[in-house]
Amino acid sequence: MAWIETVVNGLLLGGLYGLIGIGLALVFGVMRVVDGAQGEFMVMAAFFAVIVLAAAPDLHPLIIFGLAILFSFCVGYVYQSWIVNRSMQSSDPLAPLLLTFGVSIILRSVMVEVFGADLRGLQLGSLSRASIAIFNINIGVMPLLTLATSIALFLLLQWMLKRTSFGRIIRATADRRDIVRLFGVKPDRVYACVMAMSVALSAIAGLFLAARASFTPFSGVERLLIAFEVVVLGGIGSFWGPLIGGLALGVTQLVGLKWDPNAGLLYCHLLFFIMILIRPSGLVASRS
Amino acid sequence: MHLRLVSGVVASILLSAGAPFVLGDGALRLWTEALLILTMAQMWNLLAGYAGLVSFGHQVFVAAGAYALFLAAEALNVSPYWVLPLAPLAAAFLAALVALPLFRLRDAYFSIGIWVFSEIVATLVTKSSLTGATAGLPLKTSSLMDLDWFEPTLFWIASVLALAATAGLLLLMRSEFGLGIMSVRDNDVAAMSVGVDVQRNRLIVFVISAAGCGAAGAVNFLSNLYLSPASAFDVSWVVNMMFIVVIGGIGTLEGPIIGTLLFFALREIVTGQLGLSGGWYLVALGSVAVGTMLWSPRGLWPALSARWGLRFMSVERKAPRLALQDKPNND
Repeated sequence: MAWIETVVNGLLLGGLYGLIGIGLALVFGVMRVVDGAQGEFMVMAAFFAVIVLAAAPDLHPLIIFGLAILFSFCVGYVYQSWIVNRSMQSSDPLAPLLLTFGVSIILRSVMVEVFGADLRGLQLGSLSRASIAIFNINIGVMPLLTLATSIALFLLLQWMLKRTSFGRIIRATADRRDIVRLFGVKPDRVYACVMAMSVALSAIAGLFLAARASFTPFSGVERLLIAFEVVVLGGIGSFWGPLIGGLALGVTQLVGLKWDPNAGLLYCHLLFFIMILIRPSGLVASRS
Repeated sequence: MHLRLVSGVVASILLSAGAPFVLGDGALRLWTEALLILTMAQMWNLLAGYAGLVSFGHQVFVAAGAYALFLAAEALNVSPYWVLPLAPLAAAFLAALVALPLFRLRDAYFSIGIWVFSEIVATLVTKSSLTGATAGLPLKTSSLMDLDWFEPTLFWIASVLALAATAGLLLLMRSEFGLGIMSVRDNDVAAMSVGVDVQRNRLIVFVISAAGCGAAGAVNFLSNLYLSPASAFDVSWVVNMMFIVVIGGIGTLEGPIIGTLLFFALREIVTGQLGLSGGWYLVALGSVAVGTMLWSPRGLWPALSARWGLRFMSVERKAPRLALQDKPNND
């Protein structure tokens, strides 16, 4: 029974990992940019929510979440249109990579200087610690909400990319940014929208992380590698892949920790390493 | 050409031989650190700028060199200087071992794959009591060294490493082998079709790059007399290499030198002159990286050399200019 509980909790943790990976996967799939600042945007949204909550303690958590997501959406739009788009004009993929790492270091250090490096949490009353029992297994409400939200968001994103005209524009821009211009599409603006969505997705991940556990300015960079693993395992360019990759890593981490308590992320890394050696293009075949 | 190279090397040797007698203790330590970082940056540059393999996991080779030195010095009970050659060997061996699986991965997959490999090795080292676990290792045989000459000796070793890395890269890239490497970076299919052995070239470059980082890492921790897994496997090693190389100018030999000077000048100014905390230094470093990538995405050195026509250690080969063509193609 204890093992089943571990697996279930692993799946719930995997929901968070999938959420962290999906933003990175979206940006990489559309723009071919590895965004090193994604983790900091996650933490930034959490700090934003903490500040808003401190200023207006009576606000409903959903309104605070909404404000933080809206804020992140705007930040992502500005980030892409003012900064990243300019560096994407060079043919060298290292330029946007270093640029985003630079932004990540700036954001992280400023957050450390301004807010300090202490552990913080987003206290949502009883919701943060609530749990329900199903078949004698204790399941936290917050982790359950995380997994449900991440599945819902994956479905929503999939639907938007497949069925809406905006989704078609995004896919067309990802394929041929030179040709879409002939149809009146401005690639830079599409990229800005995609980055805004991606940062908003990271914000959701950050809010859930803050609400279910605690965070520091370093929480983003600590999860950057696992986010990369999620994306690569899922297959770069595939949109269901990150969720599957995230679930696999979440289960591996908790089962590994139960078996070998001071292993940290060792078994996640081993799983990743073995998987990419067997299938160098990811679990789900890439369709870039 | 060879005259300039030889005179440059001789001048550098004379400069670094005399430096410990002129510089103070603090300055000497700073220069030692800078030369070691420069060595690592050139090694990362060799791999990323010339062979096209962007590594996020070079800290594993820094750590491999350092652990080899500390463990060998303790096991053989000799002065650490004697076992220093083992450091690059250990890093090279590790690189050759892991190259086989890693080379199956392309581009971003390779970068992330080697980072994950580094994390795996870091966790295993942290768990193993053989390597001192989380507590790390002290340098047991440090008493066998002449501590009066400790700082100057380390400075000289660091100078030799940095000089060997830069001059070696210059000679390597001007050789037939270097041309083969660069052809793989620019177009591996075309390189293969003219008979370049892509995998062999990549392997050799990867092993050299790891060996250089291992040697520099060993000297760095030798100067601390203490080695902890958290600092040896710190991802900042590779982040610093990447910042220095890309800000200075990737795929040039002068770029990492400019990058290293800027990196340390920035640190000394922000934390020393302005008296601000390390956090603001990182903000300044990040801002320099963002600014450089926005206004000169190829790095500072290519922009400077194009503006003033400077070239000291160019490894570009320009085609003979045609009579009718007015402007030479600088790219």
